[in-house]
Amino acid sequence: MSFTDDRPVWASGLIKSFGKSQAVKGVNLSVPKGSIYGVLGPNGAGKTTTLRMLLGIIDPDEGERRLLGDANPRHVSHRVGYLPEERGLYPSMKAREAIAFMGALRGMDWAEGRKRADEALESAGLGHVAHGKIRRLSKGMAQLVQLLGSLIHKPDLIVLDEPFSGLDPVNQELLERLILSERDRGATILFSTHVMGHAQRICDRLSIIAGGKVRFEGTVDEARSTLPMKAHYVPCSGGEEVRKLLPVDAELGGNGWHFTVPEGGAERLVVELVKAGHGIAGLSIERPGLHDAFVRIVNAVKAEEAEITA
Amino acid sequence: MRQVIRYGLVIARRDFMAVVATPTFLLFLLTPFLMLGISVASGFGGAYLAKGTDDARVMIVIASAPDAERITAEDSAVRKRLYGHDGGPPPIRIIAPESDIEAQQSKLLGGKDAEVVAILHGTLERPIIVHRPDAAQNARFLALVAEEVLRTERLGQKSEQMLSKPDIREIHQNAPTKSRQQSTGSGAVVIMFMLTIMLASQAVGTLAEEKSNKVIEILAASVPLESVFFGKLIGLFGIALVFVAFWGTLAAVGLSIVPASAGLSSFTPVIGTPLFVIFAGCYFAMAFMLLGAIFLGVGAQASTMREIQMLSLPITLFQLIMFGVSMAAAGSPGSGVARFAQIFPFSSPFAMAARGATDPAIWPHLLALAWQMFWVAITIAVGAHFFRYGVLKSGVGPFTALGRLLRKRTPNGAKSIDKNVNSGKVQLIP
Repeated sequence: MSFTDDRPVWASGLIKSFGKSQAVKGVNLSVPKGSIYGVLGPNGAGKTTTLRMLLGIIDPDEGERRLLGDANPRHVSHRVGYLPEERGLYPSMKAREAIAFMGALRGMDWAEGRKRADEALESAGLGHVAHGKIRRLSKGMAQLVQLLGSLIHKPDLIVLDEPFSGLDPVNQELLERLILSERDRGATILFSTHVMGHAQRICDRLSIIAGGKVRFEGTVDEARSTLPMKAHYVPCSGGEEVRKLLPVDAELGGNGWHFTVPEGGAERLVVELVKAGHGIAGLSIERPGLHDAFVRIVNAVKAEEAEITA
Repeated sequence: MRQVIRYGLVIARRDFMAVVATPTFLLFLLTPFLMLGISVASGFGGAYLAKGTDDARVMIVIASAPDAERITAEDSAVRKRLYGHDGGPPPIRIIAPESDIEAQQSKLLGGKDAEVVAILHGTLERPIIVHRPDAAQNARFLALVAEEVLRTERLGQKSEQMLSKPDIREIHQNAPTKSRQQSTGSGAVVIMFMLTIMLASQAVGTLAEEKSNKVIEILAASVPLESVFFGKLIGLFGIALVFVAFWGTLAAVGLSIVPASAGLSSFTPVIGTPLFVIFAGCYFAMAFMLLGAIFLGVGAQASTMREIQMLSLPITLFQLIMFGVSMAAAGSPGSGVARFAQIFPFSSPFAMAARGATDPAIWPHLLALAWQMFWVAITIAVGAHFFRYGVLKSGVGPFTALGRLLRKRTPNGAKSIDKNVNSGKVQLIP
């Protein structure tokens, strides 16, 4: 996988071990400019380690990385916004000072940082806590303050590690809107999560990491299309006799049958059911969600690892 | 480098404000008052203790009644001449002799109502004086009294009558003397050491805050770790400067009201007071940075307060050794110890400050400051490296780094022999 200029985040063969345990086993990543890119994976998959390596917090044992085109992430840190998984703010700092401080760490002037902090807090509905100390804020509020701090310098690349964890549904929606508006501004967003709902809603592309390796890379639809479509059929009549015409995995549940749509499509099956006189009281065909695709991929990796261990 | 300094100043500003703009800083600023209070209290306690001990001490003269009268008169006269009305050795108690002098002496020494430090018996011409190991001076005083009794008798005068009329005048030495300049050097070492150990040791726990509230990840992602270390040191140094400025001003005001007759000018360092103060300030900065960088680097490895305390102890002991070496250097300028202390990076700031008091040359100071700055940079870089390796689990460990360095230096021939030995192609002859 070769590097091109339109990839703000690019990595090839990243490997990282901690002691005898290999946390990341050769991750490749290529994030298109101006996209929202999700790094999905179960707990302990190596998402955070990968993000830390990309940002230069830790160095990989092997592999190459480019952040905004630069092989040394430190050189471009002023163009990057980062929200770590473990939130961290100085409890004795005031909210606006904390945001200005984070801006200053990215090369912004303190006065400009304070001005932007006031605006950002106001627009996020937190104007009333601007002069309050972090230790007096709720966990969710502090998390939002930190997020605003990581965006205050209008970065070209925003890296968010598990940004939705710890937020209530209202703030999760606010964060989704914030991410979308940053993308609209032209920023590239890379975020990790193991909550599929957010990824399905806002990601342009995603990678699924499991067992320290990337197991899938593509769009949400491509991920979903790795699984066949599911049908829910409610006959007008027929009882158990209907099963003879349905695929072998058909199961009776609720008021109808659930089964996998055959490879050629559902048209021929529908014709046969009508011809046989069972009729169609209800029929819905659904593509499986990202959640299903994720679970299938992760389970496949687990099975593979179990086989190797055995 | 510019980036390291720039972001270091951002962190320094945060740290400085986080400490100085709090009520607890006021308490910290006034800590020396508490120390002074403790010193005064213990001084009073010590004085009372010493007075109580002195009050219990007596000297005994075993003498007949006529001798007793003469001895009492001469004791009073000698005390007046030597010490004025107060002070001097413990009081003399006259006791009549018993038949067994040895037994009487043992009884007196073992008595519990008073601590007998010396006993005189025998005749005035051949007095026998016994004393405790720490009371040799008291024994000599008894001998002097006995001698004076006889002299007074032979001259035929009264005890208090003096043959001469001495005119005793107090003079003040204002010109600097070498011994006093050495004292200035030693004083500078002591003050610098006290300030450094008190202020720089705070660096040991500063990264614990960032580690406990997870801010370290933000810092590590945003700025070079060297900036974090440098910024923390500068922030603490700013706090130290506020402290020093406050107490320095108080000390300057105090010194300005000391009368010229106190002879302070005899302590003037050979390079002049203004230059000496400037160099001492620079050396304090270097000592602070060096020690602070060690405290910071070592403290960064610790995760809990207990670990921090355990790690602080060896550094403090190390610094005490540096203090001892520097004091030796201040006491013997130009000696081998002094040269070692001036070159060894961690004692150099103290020893060079002391040198300023006795050596007029300026260039060694400029050289020493550059040398110390170099070591500050090395200490910060090493501290950051250890932090990256030990805490962030990134990079190579110290032993691996050393191994790589050594391998780089191994000649190719040696490498190929090693390879052959390892592969079994070459047998090593024992």
